Amino acid sequence: MAGATRSRLVEGETTATDAVAGATVGLSAVLFVLAVAAMFERVSLTETIAGLPTVALLGGLLIALGVAVIVFGVGSRLGYVETEPDSSAGLIASFGAAVPWLVIGGGVASETLGLGVTGGAAGAVVVGGLAFVATAVPREDVGSTVPLGALLAFVGAVFLTGTIGPAWLWDLGWEQQASITAEFLVPAATLFCALYGGWAAAKAYGRFGARGRHMGAYVLVYLNALSIIGFLFVLIAFVVVRGLPGLLTGVQVGAGVGPQVFGSFELPVSLPFVMNGVALLNDFQGVLPAIVGTIWLVVGAVLFAVPLGVGAAIFLTEYAERGRFTQAVEVATNGLWSTPSIVFGLFGFAFLVPRFGNRKSLLAGMLTLGFMLLPLVLITSREAMLSVPDEYRDASAALGVSKWQTVRSVVLPAALPGVVTGVILGVGRIAGETAPILLTMAGGTFVPGAQTVDVVGGFEFTGSPPFVANPELLQATSALPYQLYALISAGVGLGSNVSDPTGFRWATALVLLVVVLSFYAIGIGARYYFRRQLRHE
Amino acid sequence: MSNSQRTHSQSQTRTRTTGSDQPLETTSGETVEETRAEWVEYDFQGEAKMVAEDLDVHYGDDHALKGVSMEIPEKSVTALIGPSGCGKSTYLRCLNRMNDRINAARVDGSVRLDGKEIYQDGINLVELRKRVGMVFQSPNPFPKSIRDNISYGPRKHGDIETGLLARLLGRDDSDAERELVERALKQAALWDEVHDRLDDNALGLSGGQQQRLCIARCLSVDPEVILMDEPASALDPIATAKIEDLIHDLAKEYTVVIVTHNMQQAARISDQTAVFLTGGQLVEYGDTDQIFENPRSQRVEDYISGKFG
Repeated sequence: MAGATRSRLVEGETTATDAVAGATVGLSAVLFVLAVAAMFERVSLTETIAGLPTVALLGGLLIALGVAVIVFGVGSRLGYVETEPDSSAGLIASFGAAVPWLVIGGGVASETLGLGVTGGAAGAVVVGGLAFVATAVPREDVGSTVPLGALLAFVGAVFLTGTIGPAWLWDLGWEQQASITAEFLVPAATLFCALYGGWAAAKAYGRFGARGRHMGAYVLVYLNALSIIGFLFVLIAFVVVRGLPGLLTGVQVGAGVGPQVFGSFELPVSLPFVMNGVALLNDFQGVLPAIVGTIWLVVGAVLFAVPLGVGAAIFLTEYAERGRFTQAVEVATNGLWSTPSIVFGLFGFAFLVPRFGNRKSLLAGMLTLGFMLLPLVLITSREAMLSVPDEYRDASAALGVSKWQTVRSVVLPAALPGVVTGVILGVGRIAGETAPILLTMAGGTFVPGAQTVDVVGGFEFTGSPPFVANPELLQATSALPYQLYALISAGVGLGSNVSDPTGFRWATALVLLVVVLSFYAIGIGARYYFRRQLRHE
Repeated sequence: MSNSQRTHSQSQTRTRTTGSDQPLETTSGETVEETRAEWVEYDFQGEAKMVAEDLDVHYGDDHALKGVSMEIPEKSVTALIGPSGCGKSTYLRCLNRMNDRINAARVDGSVRLDGKEIYQDGINLVELRKRVGMVFQSPNPFPKSIRDNISYGPRKHGDIETGLLARLLGRDDSDAERELVERALKQAALWDEVHDRLDDNALGLSGGQQQRLCIARCLSVDPEVILMDEPASALDPIATAKIEDLIHDLAKEYTVVIVTHNMQQAARISDQTAVFLTGGQLVEYGDTDQIFENPRSQRVEDYISGKFG
């Protein structure tokens, strides 16, 4: 009986049953990975893996997984496997099993059997209801395995028999001519089935009952977390693989091949794509002006927004009394953060551009992005300062130290990691913004290397107030997101002596990714440094 | 100065009540109003360092402290005991105007430090809090190095100048800082434990060490009065014993006022004890020995013997 074994404190040794259940969980993980790979076309559905057609392989694995799960559940019910199941699998599991069967029932009834809409609905309700009952009514070991195992086996059989093959297509018959292809359906179905199979297998591995549910939930959330890392990895890999050839065009390594920096020092590497601009006589064209433009853009926006945002946060947390005014500021900040970036761009275009020489300029872009960054810096700085314990403020006040000095010497250092986190998030957003730049800053797409913006060198003294001028800031320049947009959407500048336009685009995307991730890395480094200062000096 | 505090318990101490010759309060509620009118007074030899008179504190509508008047003798340990919510911490925070930091708090009455009213316009809060330091219930060192924790106050007050500008101007006080840190840590009996790791973060110290560091930080600005709000309540018995020894030593040079929940602690370390009871009243104030052995008030006796509160 289930109750008899519950009081057992020490589990038996790892048995063959454990090994089988564990292998089943592993099998579902393999299926999950395969499905993700197929989704992103890393695995081709039309080709073969280890001599087997991909779809058939997926089908076979699904059947194996389904049968294993069912065998485990039935074996447990018949007493061959020692488990501690509850009396029912529960409502969530029942709905979980009912939904995919509902879809299958509807689909088979209306399409395969040709019963139309009414028949489809009836089939969906009948099949889904059966799955619900089959999960909810029997004891947990059967309820949580048999309907799901049958689902896996069914889907696997559909794939294995070729009912749905690589060339399968379901034309929805809508006006938009939408259709569901095998390329989407097979990976998606496999993904869901792998999740369900992993869930059921993990429950079995935990011997059902409370421990089984814990294992099931653990596997589900673990696979979710894994998929996030997986998606990021796939995305980066995708861009890197496609962008690398374009990036490395004409690369040379050796003494004296690179351009001169810092006076006469010659870099030992020549990477034309990131070191050149565009010129008629260049062997290889590059995006240096856009890279420099992006970097200056972000630096300018941060220099503008951080002091303003942190200052406002200090006022709101340390000086202002909680009341209508602070609430109004809060609402305004959140509203500003939710404002679409194109609106910021329009504002810059209509307000800033006419005031800076009536043309698109780096300065206008910086300020526009600075306005965008401001609310996030304010929100996160405020949160960070609110989380600084009041004990620090009390201790400082009890020493007779004034409020401002307390803020400067105690509150701000303690809040810095949080502030930096906010800046990281904000920079990640603004560095990739296209719309505001489009309207306020971007000039040409293929910018000649000679027009690379040189903000530091651009400062010059003048004889009359304000005594300082910087024409570089008032130049239109390019930035990577805008350049990418223009290259892809409009094909601007593709006549300019680029041998491989597609490679050039992907390489631009790769460089943009690298630049944004570099800012991210710098931010994380800064946060780590400030945190260390707070904890172990 | 004088060693009167060590001797006053032998001298005759007289406790009088004014305003009423009624028998003292009982645990019943009806007499509570009467006790309000009483002037709980305690005569001692030596100077009064701080005097509170008719002190009322309201937090919004909550009347937290009701007409408390008491004198705190200098260079001694005064313990404030009483059940939770009886106003003893509120009273303590009146003595260096920390209640100003609570928006809803309103303080009426008078507190004098060396005869000078601290609740008046134009009072220099910086100077007041330098002279009347405070140690809090839970250790709250800054997330900085041990050295920086100690030198924080003097630096902010401009007593010590370090850093690039000071060095450029030839006013580097690094030596003075070193001496100050050493002196404060020695006073707080922490020097032997941390002298070889002054640059470590203070949050790496144990709870008891952190609390002694907070006492050292308080001593760094050379206070005259040290207010302690249950300084040992978050510590284990050994750390508590160290803090108690430290308080005993500090009383030779400083006026210590300590709030505690622990009656044994009050009996061990204090020269005089004030008992606050529910409702924010000061019920009895006198020699510690007298309060614990022969309280005049039935409520105080009940409280001390554990029947109430």
